[in-house]
Amino acid sequence: MLEFMDYVQHAFYNASHWNSENSYSQLTATARGLLDFETPRGLRLNLSSLSSPNFATSYAIGSVGLVDGALSYLYTSLPLRTTSQSGDIDLHDVIRGYRQIQEFRRHDEPWMWEQWQGGKRIDKRDTLLYGRLYLPQSTLEALYLRRIGPTQQLKLSAVSDSRLRNGGTILALHQYDVGKYSTETLYSTDGGLIGARGLYNFGPDPRKERKELPRMEDRFYGRFSAGAEMYYGSLNKSGGVSFGGRFATLPAHKGTPLTATLTLNPLMGNISTTYAVKAGKNLALCSKFDFNVYSYESDLVLGCELWRVKAKTEKKRERSMAAKLEWRLDNTEEKSRPEPEEVAGVLKARVDQNWKIGLLWEGRVKELLFTLGSSIDMKRRDQPFRALGLELQYSS
Amino acid sequence: MAFNFNWSPLTADADFYKRAQEMLTTALNKSPKPPIIVDDILVNELNLGSVPPELEILEIGDLAEDRFRGIFKMCYSGDAFLTLKTRVQANPLNTYLFSKPSFTSPQPLAASSGLTIPLQITLSEIKLSAFIILVFSRQKGLTLVFRNDPLESLKVSSTFDSIPFVRDYLQKEIEMQLRTLMMDELPAIIHRLSLRLWCPEHRASEDEVMAQATKSEKEEVAVDPFASPPQDAVDARGNVLDASEISSLSLDGGSEIHSLFSQKNLLRLAALTDSHRTLSLFTPSIRDAVFRAWAGPSERGDSAGTSTPVTPSLVRSHSSVASSSTTYTFSRGSDDGHGHIPSRPSLVSMHSATTGLSLGAGRHSRSHLRKKKNRVVNLRKSKTTDDVVSESGESEASGTPASEPAIPTQIPEEPEDNIITPPRSPSGKVRFRTCSIDLGESPRKLRLSTPGRSALSSRTVPEEVTLEPALTLEPLEPTAPIFHREKRSAYNTTSQYPAEKLTAPITLQPAPILSDPASAGGIIEQAWVLKMAGEMTRRAHDEKSAREGFWSSQSTDEREDSPPPAYEPKAM
Repeated sequence: MLEFMDYVQHAFYNASHWNSENSYSQLTATARGLLDFETPRGLRLNLSSLSSPNFATSYAIGSVGLVDGALSYLYTSLPLRTTSQSGDIDLHDVIRGYRQIQEFRRHDEPWMWEQWQGGKRIDKRDTLLYGRLYLPQSTLEALYLRRIGPTQQLKLSAVSDSRLRNGGTILALHQYDVGKYSTETLYSTDGGLIGARGLYNFGPDPRKERKELPRMEDRFYGRFSAGAEMYYGSLNKSGGVSFGGRFATLPAHKGTPLTATLTLNPLMGNISTTYAVKAGKNLALCSKFDFNVYSYESDLVLGCELWRVKAKTEKKRERSMAAKLEWRLDNTEEKSRPEPEEVAGVLKARVDQNWKIGLLWEGRVKELLFTLGSSIDMKRRDQPFRALGLELQYSS
Repeated sequence: MAFNFNWSPLTADADFYKRAQEMLTTALNKSPKPPIIVDDILVNELNLGSVPPELEILEIGDLAEDRFRGIFKMCYSGDAFLTLKTRVQANPLNTYLFSKPSFTSPQPLAASSGLTIPLQITLSEIKLSAFIILVFSRQKGLTLVFRNDPLESLKVSSTFDSIPFVRDYLQKEIEMQLRTLMMDELPAIIHRLSLRLWCPEHRASEDEVMAQATKSEKEEVAVDPFASPPQDAVDARGNVLDASEISSLSLDGGSEIHSLFSQKNLLRLAALTDSHRTLSLFTPSIRDAVFRAWAGPSERGDSAGTSTPVTPSLVRSHSSVASSSTTYTFSRGSDDGHGHIPSRPSLVSMHSATTGLSLGAGRHSRSHLRKKKNRVVNLRKSKTTDDVVSESGESEASGTPASEPAIPTQIPEEPEDNIITPPRSPSGKVRFRTCSIDLGESPRKLRLSTPGRSALSSRTVPEEVTLEPALTLEPLEPTAPIFHREKRSAYNTTSQYPAEKLTAPITLQPAPILSDPASAGGIIEQAWVLKMAGEMTRRAHDEKSAREGFWSSQSTDEREDSPPPAYEPKAM
């Protein structure tokens, strides 16, 4: 489950029309959401609030061995009008599961951001500032996020910790996204790491006016994306490269939504494939297979996600008094109006070839969002439960 | 004289290689590994080769059938090799991300995917050049210490030889690791191997420990100060220890002690004395033993020994680490102090027995005499192996035949210092003498020891007396344990005392003068000495009574009032 601050950050992306999913680093987001979820450890409590549209605070306290906590503050120059009450938040927004990619939306033109007053431009770039202090460890995290333009974003993240070499690290990330393609360049002070990522989406260019309607009669209606990343550590003279591709169906697809990815690491000889399908409205299945052509090591993980929807209590159909008086039936349009589904919870499970099982149950109780998780190692018969945790979130 | 070093028998024993491999494996996996190593390090192959190292004997400190101590210069450029197996993470990006905070992680998609590669490293063409201190005794096994960094060069060949960057990195890392291994781990391994080879008792205990298979090493170190001192001597990072110190550890133990008392009992007694000074609730059960608490502060020094009826053996056990005969001195000293005559004859006989044994024994007796003043030291020190080291080192320095001449010169120096430093040294001196005599120790001791001492050189006695201060001082001094840590430091402190208000230490100095004639062994002289002693005792008593000093009054009182040690009846 997303932490409140991440939720607010995504709200900022949405409010500033930034598509955070159109990036090479998000290529396997579906598989990560279904397979690489983190099971909580110990008890953890989050108390958060979006006290004003521009300001959010969050406090966390946890007990893993010893009590630790975190304080975080967030400021954004862009007023966020999102639901922040934990009782009202849509669970689909905070639980990362099967990610349905969306049709591209046209980016704003630069002139759309301009605001003039008295012959002067008064518009400001949207900015987000975020800081978090972990208490016993006195580790400080800071984030500076700035929309440079409709297609660009700058992200500076820093960690200050006395245990790190040089006392901390800073990561600078510049993102450029025009829909059809996106690029990212990054620099990390740790090891002088320079990196570049790019993603190209095959298909129609969202910048151009769409001429013909999408051909819906195809068996698969989706999008193919391909990308690559490259890193080079200028201080330790080491690097890394990977290529990847993804095919995912778009919402307009008639059949079963699916996502398939393939990533290659030519230097290390690593091939990784994932395949995820949304088998039903409430069920998603995913598998991941890793293989290394040099060491012949392989890895298989299977996972699933099951959404439990609260059973709707069928309303008794009674004719309204007005209808009765008029000796007629009620209007059918009123009855057919769909009611929003109430999600009771989500069960996520994964198992790998070493019989390590991860279980996660996320949901809502009254006003609280909870995450209950456990990791089980079936190879160790004497002590199969490796970790058990409960995380509670309340926000207002 | 010829030495025969056999290199090949080591290689002939198939079991030896197996054990050595096991030990090396555990040693290599002990410290936390860098993230690049993702598996345990296994010692796959070990071969000492056929070319023996060249040894140049620089000094031989001690030589007997069952013990040896010497310093060598070793040069080795043989064909020994060592093959290690492990698995490493070949992706630098993966290890890069390993310990980084996730908040600033670049979050690569697949560039950090891992590739673990089985790595085989062969270390060959090892060139060593070092000064080695080698100590061997049949009881304590073999101890080997490098005085300098032995590794000159070596060739590391691995799976990655074709990649120069990786090869250089491995070469550098492994050289570093190997240096620490040589300096810290190898001596311990060799010692343990040798113990298995020569010390059946140790082997039995080790088997037992292995059967338990839990925290074996810790227990051994904690409970077993006698079996493992050489090993601990090594851990001082090679800077502190002298050859003599180490050798004293392993050699002074003397076979007679071990034949008389089983090691188990010694350990038990050591644990018992430990329990007095710690909060440990564990007291080993000893049959036919009566436990007694300390009677008073003055007895504290002795208490380690006297607290139980079993003390004679206990004392013995302690002293066994440093010198065999210390025990007798100790018990006799306390007896004399309390004026129990009956105990004397037996003590004398025992003493003479030890002295009569050999030159080595003579050395022991002498050192033990010297130690008498330090008996407190002895008892306390024997617990922590560190102390043992320093303690025995002292005695050994004097003990080795080669260095023997050095001792008298060395020790007289200190008294001189003392004499010079105190402003009122003359009176102090007198008092001192009396002090020691008051306790009745020196005259009787002289008398007692004469028979056995005939074998000794006259030098030994002055020595013993010089050290007297420590004896008298320490029981008086509440903080004595601190000084006991190192004998030498204790000496220094005594010499400084005069400047401060503590006069007691000063008074002890002149004792050499007193005992010198006695050492000559003449009966007339002895008589004279006794007479003098009596006189001095009287004078000292007067002085003491006149003096209002806290120390003196307390000490005398307590010495007179304190109940006899519980063990005395048994000592007879």
